[in-house]
Amino acid sequence: MDFIAQEVDYFFHYISEVGTSKLVRIFWFFVIFEFSRLFVIDFLALIFIFIKRKLTKKKRKEARRQLFLYNPLISIIVPGKNEGKHIFKLVSSLKEQTYKNYELIIVDDGSDDDTEQICKSLKKNNLIDVFIRNEVRGGKASGANTALRVAKGDFVIHLDADSSLDRDAIEQIITPFYENPDVGAVGGNVMVRNYKETLATTLQSYEYNDAISIGRMVASYLGVYRIISGAFGAFRRDALEQVQGWDIGPGLDGDITVKMRKVGYKVVFEDRAVCQTNVPSSFKNLTKQRLRWDKSLIRFRLRKHKDVFIPDENFSILNFLSFLENIFFTIILNIKWYIYIIDVVINFPGILGMILVMNFFLYSCSNAFKLLLFNFFRERKNSPIYIYFPFIPLMVLYHGYYLRIVRTVAYIKELFFKSSYKDEWNPEKTSIRAKQIGI
Amino acid sequence: MGDVVESDILRHGAFEYIRIHDYSNYSLELFMAYDSVVIESNNRDFVEKLVRSIRTHNHTDVYLKPIFLLKSSKVEDPLINNLIDGVIFSIDQLELISDYVKQILLRIKDFVFVKSISLEAEIISRTINLMVSREKTELFAYLYLNSGLGYIYPEASIQFSPRDEHNLLSILDTAEQEGLFTSDFNDRIYLCTNCETGILSYREVCPKCNSANSKAEDLVHHFSCAYVGPVSDFKNAIDDELNCPKCNKYLNHIGVDYDKPSLLHTCNKCGHKYQDYHVKAKCITCHHDNDVENLLPRTIKNFYLTKKGRNVAYHGFISTSKDFNEIPGTVRFDVFKTMLEYEIERLKQNDATSNIAYLTISNAGELYSRIGIERQKILISEMIRILRKNLRSSDFIAFYSASTLILSLNDIPTKIANNILNDVVKITTMLLKKNFKNVEIHIETFATPLNIEFSHEIQLQQLIKRFETES
Repeated sequence: MDFIAQEVDYFFHYISEVGTSKLVRIFWFFVIFEFSRLFVIDFLALIFIFIKRKLTKKKRKEARRQLFLYNPLISIIVPGKNEGKHIFKLVSSLKEQTYKNYELIIVDDGSDDDTEQICKSLKKNNLIDVFIRNEVRGGKASGANTALRVAKGDFVIHLDADSSLDRDAIEQIITPFYENPDVGAVGGNVMVRNYKETLATTLQSYEYNDAISIGRMVASYLGVYRIISGAFGAFRRDALEQVQGWDIGPGLDGDITVKMRKVGYKVVFEDRAVCQTNVPSSFKNLTKQRLRWDKSLIRFRLRKHKDVFIPDENFSILNFLSFLENIFFTIILNIKWYIYIIDVVINFPGILGMILVMNFFLYSCSNAFKLLLFNFFRERKNSPIYIYFPFIPLMVLYHGYYLRIVRTVAYIKELFFKSSYKDEWNPEKTSIRAKQIGI
Repeated sequence: MGDVVESDILRHGAFEYIRIHDYSNYSLELFMAYDSVVIESNNRDFVEKLVRSIRTHNHTDVYLKPIFLLKSSKVEDPLINNLIDGVIFSIDQLELISDYVKQILLRIKDFVFVKSISLEAEIISRTINLMVSREKTELFAYLYLNSGLGYIYPEASIQFSPRDEHNLLSILDTAEQEGLFTSDFNDRIYLCTNCETGILSYREVCPKCNSANSKAEDLVHHFSCAYVGPVSDFKNAIDDELNCPKCNKYLNHIGVDYDKPSLLHTCNKCGHKYQDYHVKAKCITCHHDNDVENLLPRTIKNFYLTKKGRNVAYHGFISTSKDFNEIPGTVRFDVFKTMLEYEIERLKQNDATSNIAYLTISNAGELYSRIGIERQKILISEMIRILRKNLRSSDFIAFYSASTLILSLNDIPTKIANNILNDVVKITTMLLKKNFKNVEIHIETFATPLNIEFSHEIQLQQLIKRFETES
């Protein structure tokens, strides 16, 4: 404790002595990349979003009116394995929806528990419209494609079985299709249901609330939104059929979004369409999940869809920027962070402790500001923000170190060992084939 | 209908047999004068129709009559086989059956026939009489195509039309509970929820629109691109190869390139896709489409006559313990007879007109079967209430049978008596129409003045003969 107090004391003394240019030199990574991107750009974009919403309020209202006027059938598809225990909760939240014209399609992807019995019972009681049981597991993509095959709705909503929806979530996620006919897909706002469960879930809830939700709002506004969460996403059925459904994962959520964008559809994020889901409650499972997500970035952005960077007749500047932003802020900045570490170790070996404290201070201040300021732009809040205050310093570790290290490991594993093809998330039979044809 | 042609009267020993051909047109009442009926025909439908007519006749002298079939082959039909008393292949064989005829007739002679107001009691009584007169102790259920249940108890089912046979099952259960029969298990059947018949057509139908018009196809999952679709998506018109419509790759090896995770049905009517079809049971009789889970389960038993059951034939059977013994507003038939006797004596002293009348439900069997035992009692009670409202307290009513009321309408002209009866018929018909849809009641009435020259017994017999002939 004495050491920390001494360092903090030294830190305040140092910043009162040193000039601004020296501070920028030492903390360039935060000032140039993190602060500008995660605070300035986001804040400005949120102001524009706020103004735009005010200006387009009538348009939004008209779109909603049209939705209820045309009353299109919406197919809600829920593929999954061993998800029976979640289905009733999902059905209950769907029954409460303000938009009623939907069909619920459950695909049991080779479950080996009592999912089949549960779903058949719900089907018998007319709580499920279509239930398809696949005797052998084919993976998430094949499950979703099976559901798509039997879907009759004009729009398809993909849900994870452990999701539940706000009462107006369906109307909110479908309304953007009536605001702009070019919209082919809409991502819903996923919030954490079990945020009080463990430290890991609380930190993830903070992350979803801040980086993911706000980040997606901004990306959507800038036209570079690139991933529709599998937990809650809506698609025009004709658009889905045009891209021939989902390809095999992991990372099929991001993949389908890219496919949509590549054929010319707009993809937007709708923060008012809220879905709650459970996130991994242990750091072990969280690490597994994030490794999978991060590996898919290499696999899909750098390998499968590398043609986005090629300036041919299908070239789209927005798709290019979307990829560039994604690769820059994840892969490049990740590498830059290591360069920064090397830089301070070599050039400022005497004040490493002070730099550490200063980084903590800067990031914590930035986080606190964002938490308070961005909260004004959120129309739907998952939980009171004060519960996140004690975790602000921890988020520095979570974002700055934990996620960064996991990301680095994932990139190395995927770049050099293509380890996503060994992921048990997908059945081996499909991964072997995907690897053979290089997707 | 005319007199019996001499050549159709066969005599052997002390017995006279009436021979019936396909073309014969004799009234069934004529059979009473003969000891036995010999049907000479190879026409199954004719034989069945005639046997049914005899065995369902109201009069005991007809329905218990020994029946023989004169034909060239044995009878396979279980209904006819159990309702006739034998097959002879030539007239010469009458000698062989005369002893048997004698035994039947002797047994019937000892029977006591009691008219009951209870349909259940009447059916049980008629069944047992037929069995005991033939020394039968087993009432077996036979699989039978033309039965409403799919099973018949020949001696008992004959009393019902195929649509109403289901009533027999509860009546036989009642008889068993009364100790007249014991039983063992034969089979379990399922009946239509609408009309309670058992001839059902089971079909796999679309769970959305109930159409049986569907096609089933394997779903194919292509591993490389996660395409999922029916196998027809992968087929082409040129060769037998399977090609993926999404990535155009050739599917070579199941389990390596692709698999078939499930089977999918597509409804050709509404387009619904499903795996779990519903099974529906369409009733051939009323066309009602039943959910199989809701079908009415019934147990088919084989019944064995007990000693107590056998005694029914010799002592009569008025009612089951479930029946009501007395209907308010009526008197017992024996009391009625005494009162009628007094009325005739009274008329001898006064210059007045009194009438004797009947009111009979000519389709009682069908009607009671349709509305059920409980509602039968309600109907009868209501009919008596209507009658009592329209009659004076000096008039009296008695049940002759479950379907027939005998009335004494005193001190009124016959024309008015007939008008009163007609009014009662109208009100009862309206009442029934209001409460029971698709059920019809046919009531026949007749009133005739009491003749002081004849005894009450004779006048009653003439009246009974009249409605038995009419019906």
